[in-house]
Amino acid sequence: MKMKRAILRGTYFFMFLLVPIVAVSQETVSGVISDNNDLPVPGANVVIKGTTNGSTSDFDGNYEIVVNEFPATLVFSSLGYTTKEVQVTGGTILNVTMEESVTGLEEVVVTGLATTIKRTNAANAVASISAEALTGTTPPPTLDGALYGKFAGAIVNSNSGAPGGGISVKLRGATSLQGNVQPLYIIDGVYVDNSATAAGLNVVSGAAGQGSSSNQDNPSNRIADLNPEDIANIEILKGASAAAIYGSRAAAGVVIITTKRGKAGKTKFKFSQSTGWSQAINLLGVRDYNEQRVRDTFGDAAADEYNAALSSGNLVDYEDEIYGENGVISITNFSMSGGGDKTKFYAGVTHNNEDGIVKNTGYEKTSVRLNLDHRPADFVRFSLSSNYIYSSADRGFFNNDNTGTTIGIALTATRPWDKLYPNEDGIYPDHPNNTSNPLQTRDLITNNEKINRIIMGGTTNLDIYRSDRSNLELILRGGLDFYGQQTRAIFPKPLQFQKIANGGLNGVSSQGDIQNKNYNLSAFLVHGYTTENNLNFRTQVGITREYFDQNVELITATGLVASETNVDQAANTGVNQTRLLQQDSGFFAQEELNYQDKVIATVGVRGDKSSNNGDANKLSYYPKASLALSLNEFGFWKQDSVWDQFKLRIAYGEAGNFPPFGALFTSYNAFSTDGTLGISLIGVRGDADLESERQKELEFGTDLSFFDRRLNLSATYYIKNIDNLILQAALEPSTGFTQQFVNAGELQNKGIELSLDAIPVQTENLSWNLGINFFKNTSEITRLDIPAFNIGAFGATLGTFRIEEGSSPTQIVGIGPNPGPNGFQTFGNSEADFQMGFNSNLKYKNIDFSMVWQWKQGGDNINLTTLLSDLNGTSHDYDTIDLDPDGVLGNGDYRVSQLGQSARVFVEDAGYVRLRELGVYYTLTSEMLSNVIGGGIDSIRLGFSGTNLINIFDYNSYDPEISNFGGNTIFTGVEVTPFPSSKRFLFNVAVNF
Amino acid sequence: MKEYIYKFLVFASVAAVMVSCEVQEFSDLNNAEVDAFEDNLTRGDLQDLVGGLFYSSRVNIGTYLDDTGVIGREWFRFSGSDPRFTTDLLGGGSAILDNNTFYITNPWSARYRTVKNGNLILDFLGSQDLSAQFTDQEVSAARGLAKTFIAYELLLNLNLTDENGIRLDVSDANNLGPFVSKTEALAGIRSFLEEGATDLANGGEAFSFIFPSGFAGFDTPSTFLQVNNAIAARVAAYQGDNEAVLSFLEDSFLNLDPQDMDTGVYYNFSEDQNSLVNPMFISANGTTAAQARIVEPSFISDAMAGDGRLSKIVQLEAPVTLDDLVGDHIVFRYQSNSDVIPIIRNEELILLYAEANIAVDPTEAVNALNIIRESAGLGAYTGATDENSLTDEMLMQRRYSLFAEGHRWIDMRRFDRLDELPLARPDDDVFAMFPIPLTENQ
Repeated sequence: MKMKRAILRGTYFFMFLLVPIVAVSQETVSGVISDNNDLPVPGANVVIKGTTNGSTSDFDGNYEIVVNEFPATLVFSSLGYTTKEVQVTGGTILNVTMEESVTGLEEVVVTGLATTIKRTNAANAVASISAEALTGTTPPPTLDGALYGKFAGAIVNSNSGAPGGGISVKLRGATSLQGNVQPLYIIDGVYVDNSATAAGLNVVSGAAGQGSSSNQDNPSNRIADLNPEDIANIEILKGASAAAIYGSRAAAGVVIITTKRGKAGKTKFKFSQSTGWSQAINLLGVRDYNEQRVRDTFGDAAADEYNAALSSGNLVDYEDEIYGENGVISITNFSMSGGGDKTKFYAGVTHNNEDGIVKNTGYEKTSVRLNLDHRPADFVRFSLSSNYIYSSADRGFFNNDNTGTTIGIALTATRPWDKLYPNEDGIYPDHPNNTSNPLQTRDLITNNEKINRIIMGGTTNLDIYRSDRSNLELILRGGLDFYGQQTRAIFPKPLQFQKIANGGLNGVSSQGDIQNKNYNLSAFLVHGYTTENNLNFRTQVGITREYFDQNVELITATGLVASETNVDQAANTGVNQTRLLQQDSGFFAQEELNYQDKVIATVGVRGDKSSNNGDANKLSYYPKASLALSLNEFGFWKQDSVWDQFKLRIAYGEAGNFPPFGALFTSYNAFSTDGTLGISLIGVRGDADLESERQKELEFGTDLSFFDRRLNLSATYYIKNIDNLILQAALEPSTGFTQQFVNAGELQNKGIELSLDAIPVQTENLSWNLGINFFKNTSEITRLDIPAFNIGAFGATLGTFRIEEGSSPTQIVGIGPNPGPNGFQTFGNSEADFQMGFNSNLKYKNIDFSMVWQWKQGGDNINLTTLLSDLNGTSHDYDTIDLDPDGVLGNGDYRVSQLGQSARVFVEDAGYVRLRELGVYYTLTSEMLSNVIGGGIDSIRLGFSGTNLINIFDYNSYDPEISNFGGNTIFTGVEVTPFPSSKRFLFNVAVNF
Repeated sequence: MKEYIYKFLVFASVAAVMVSCEVQEFSDLNNAEVDAFEDNLTRGDLQDLVGGLFYSSRVNIGTYLDDTGVIGREWFRFSGSDPRFTTDLLGGGSAILDNNTFYITNPWSARYRTVKNGNLILDFLGSQDLSAQFTDQEVSAARGLAKTFIAYELLLNLNLTDENGIRLDVSDANNLGPFVSKTEALAGIRSFLEEGATDLANGGEAFSFIFPSGFAGFDTPSTFLQVNNAIAARVAAYQGDNEAVLSFLEDSFLNLDPQDMDTGVYYNFSEDQNSLVNPMFISANGTTAAQARIVEPSFISDAMAGDGRLSKIVQLEAPVTLDDLVGDHIVFRYQSNSDVIPIIRNEELILLYAEANIAVDPTEAVNALNIIRESAGLGAYTGATDENSLTDEMLMQRRYSLFAEGHRWIDMRRFDRLDELPLARPDDDVFAMFPIPLTENQ
């Protein structure tokens, strides 16, 4: 009805025919359904409003429907198009043109394990990202790297700039303190693994030594394997209120990814090529040396070397030497899709090849996908998704160490007059001021991860029963995610720190082999029933089963023979094996009621058991309930009102988070002493009665839509409580254990999410789409049953996180002049004050211009790169005087003077504003190409795009977005000489034919 | 169409069978669980459990030696990646020892880990009928070994916290005993050793397990009993109980022979990936400001000419500087990644013998000191033989004989001479003891 007004206004909707005819019973309406490019739309649904009588269009877009009673309203719908209602008064030819949906309001969102609901009826703020939003502006380096700034409620944080990913996604604040905080990823029904497995660099770096027991290898996480080009849509269930149907694994949220599928019709081909380069976003520069400063800091001998190097022009900017490369990027993608009535396919292959900004680093990936849909008969559908991925990442050697060996640490000790280049024979000099020569390390080491991965999923839908008012459907689904990963960390014996004369290990070869297999099976029954007065019931019940099996073997060999890297060609070999097995089993049941799209209510429950719980066969129940009221459907407003949607919604749900694997046991580890085997206690005491963490989330909000859906507002407020927090609590070390696993606390997150989507301008030649999102989350530990403790960094002297009742879990405290009652001074919080995203897409004729900006306000980091540089007298701002309140000491001396006095100078504001994505494209349409290859080309899109092109921040290092300890922790934002992040420049061409 | 329905029903029933609801329960797939030893302890199990003592007693021993060596002003520890060795441990500026930093928490918890490993062995031995696997003598010998280890580990922790005390009774993790005073702790440690000695004396001819090579010559109950007594002699010396020192030394492996300084028991190290490398080894070539143990300069200036013990240090080509500390000699007491570190050896026993005799029999004390001097290539002692002078001489010999073995700080402390230790920087302090780790909740 609103549509009618739009047509009358006639400004931007395509006109269609409407031929009134005198009412006669039992007549046929038929015609062709096409899109605004005049291409037929096959498979579109045509339903007589108020009934379940319907039909679908065939391959050429033809439809035919028998109408019993006139006048009647026909509802035309198809995924990706705006639903259209047309009133008919008798049998006629009715050709319909469907508009491609612009605002995304017609899309469907997940509400059950087997069902979806129209977004307009959803009771949750489910974020959804289309292929266009994901990859339309610029090809992202990895899938998770494409999520920045695109929806409210997600904190996306890169752990390092190393090629091949390493990104964490956290939804609606801290969901666990020491358990899993990464969302569950499900691709076409397959539970996919997102683990990050260390490559064994610790043997050399010794990072997990005295200050922190955490391994700081910083491997990439496996979701990076997925190819963004294959993805049709991503839906994000941000908290338990939406994700309760995923039960015991869903507390950190669920990311549901749907890949592209074929459409019946003409076979479409697409070829695209992106070529460009990456470069460091921000190099710090060299300290402003002069003779006196060199003499003061490094002594007389160094001053002489400085003078000699200065006069011979041999001062080297080693930062630029190491991080100054332009990494070449090439992304090639080819896809084809099409099919007929019964069988449809999508096939694609993508090859990425990217070099890093450090020599000998880079990322290569090949992904092949085949998706098939087959419909042998009206009542049965099969669909299959299959994906093979090969990837190889060379990640260099960065982050913290305790041995002076990583490239980053070595650089902090390197001065411009140090002679580090190899001689003509290729022999590298030893670093005069450090245990390793960073140029030699860069050139000779290998740190590689290789993946071979297969992800396959299949679904069968069977209509068991179908009538006018009710139907019953059976859905069977299975999925498999298998990968083999090889890690190779090779430190050859010529390295300065491997030479025996220097106390080295004479070469290290560390080789890991990881086999991971997940598979999941599920079966559902869905029953729909509509009453006379259009009250619709949908009931679903199902059972699920998931299996996880991972085996990690890491062999570390030291004392290598000649230039051999095989682990048997070595003096000493150590082997480490870690297995992980888990079985989960669950059921769920859900009832949805929809009264004329006015009131939509859902109640459901999931029951789960898992081998990861203390009692494996005890069922844990996760209930959910929600209610949505579409006030605009009640007829309060006149048909030509500006209100298109006014929905109030409220939802509640619970979800779980498993204890970490192994937390149930108190065990020994095996070691040897002079060949005598022995077992010594692991320092963490397990608890066989440990329970899962449980999240209870209540969210409510409203969705508003005005001016023919050209202006949409959505506001959501949520409160989520996480109870039974699993903590590794400090235990009196005199027990023989330093920590124990306990359920000992409660955490609360409160937050608000606002989003606005608008089409301020839409004319024939010019259109402008604008999206703005804002979100703010506040976390607080509301209950802590164990004494407050410090965690997640390098101790109070340097700034640390502190878990304390009544405070934020991400507060940063340290020693300081004005300590609070707990003995520490609070210096900051790694949680942002708020974040905003800004998306704009401007189209003028054939040109389109799009941008994604992201603003993170506040949030603090612990910056130790600067401290390490200060201690070595090499920081870029060493002699600048703007920190010392007395204005006497240079920044370097001031920061060093604060060591042991106050941690304040190490805690820095990590807010930023970034131009995350930029794209400018020109499209050549089929009309313009009518004389090229016989008019066989549909369109060509040419353009330039970039990632992180503008970065504004005050933070005194490479990038405020960093995590020395990787992604699966809430304690991000600790920086120790990372791989600097980079910006990307790409030239793109895409041909559709 | 019917064929499809038929196919479907078959598929659905197969799926239903696969999706059965029972979930398998797993034990710890990666590690041996403690519960597994609570019954049916085998000889192989006991070997593994005892092997755990040999392993865990070595963990973080390097940090222990750095703690005692740096505060005792034997050397400076330079570390590019951890500034606290040159700030906190030396009391640089206004820095003090923190109660939640690796230098105390790591060695403290490692020692108590060994105590727990030992207590679990005592539990397993005491809670089941082992007559099918072991003789009573073998059980007794194993008890004696475990008790000796427990006592020694407690002693090392007490050396760090001194007057702050330690927890003596930690056998029940859920019901820990209180912190006790230094005096009470020393008495308790001594009585653990004496209980262990009784068990060892009843331990028969042989242990039921093998030892690493660092215990060569002391791997039977009767010879290990000598080690037990040697440690008890050290404890008695810390108690100032000279009579007891001499009596324990009587039953130890004390040998008053200038040719025999090194008989004793040692920690083994190796590059084997499941073992540990010697944490005290940094080569001269591998020494930089980022990684060094620089000898405190007075160690060189105070040395007597011709002292052979100066071979424990090595001169660098150029001085190394960090944080206003400078030096050109490095600690070279340990010369490779697989070098052994002494637990207790004859040179210390001779010095304990000398120390106890200063009050009891000064002539015998001078004799003993002369054995040490002879072994170091020095002439006989010619100074005064009053108690003070002999104590000076004894401490001097201990400083050089036991360099980098974790004694200097403790020796100066027990003779109340910490104020005699040199300060490299004007604001430095010599701390007398570490605080009790924060997580002990004291």
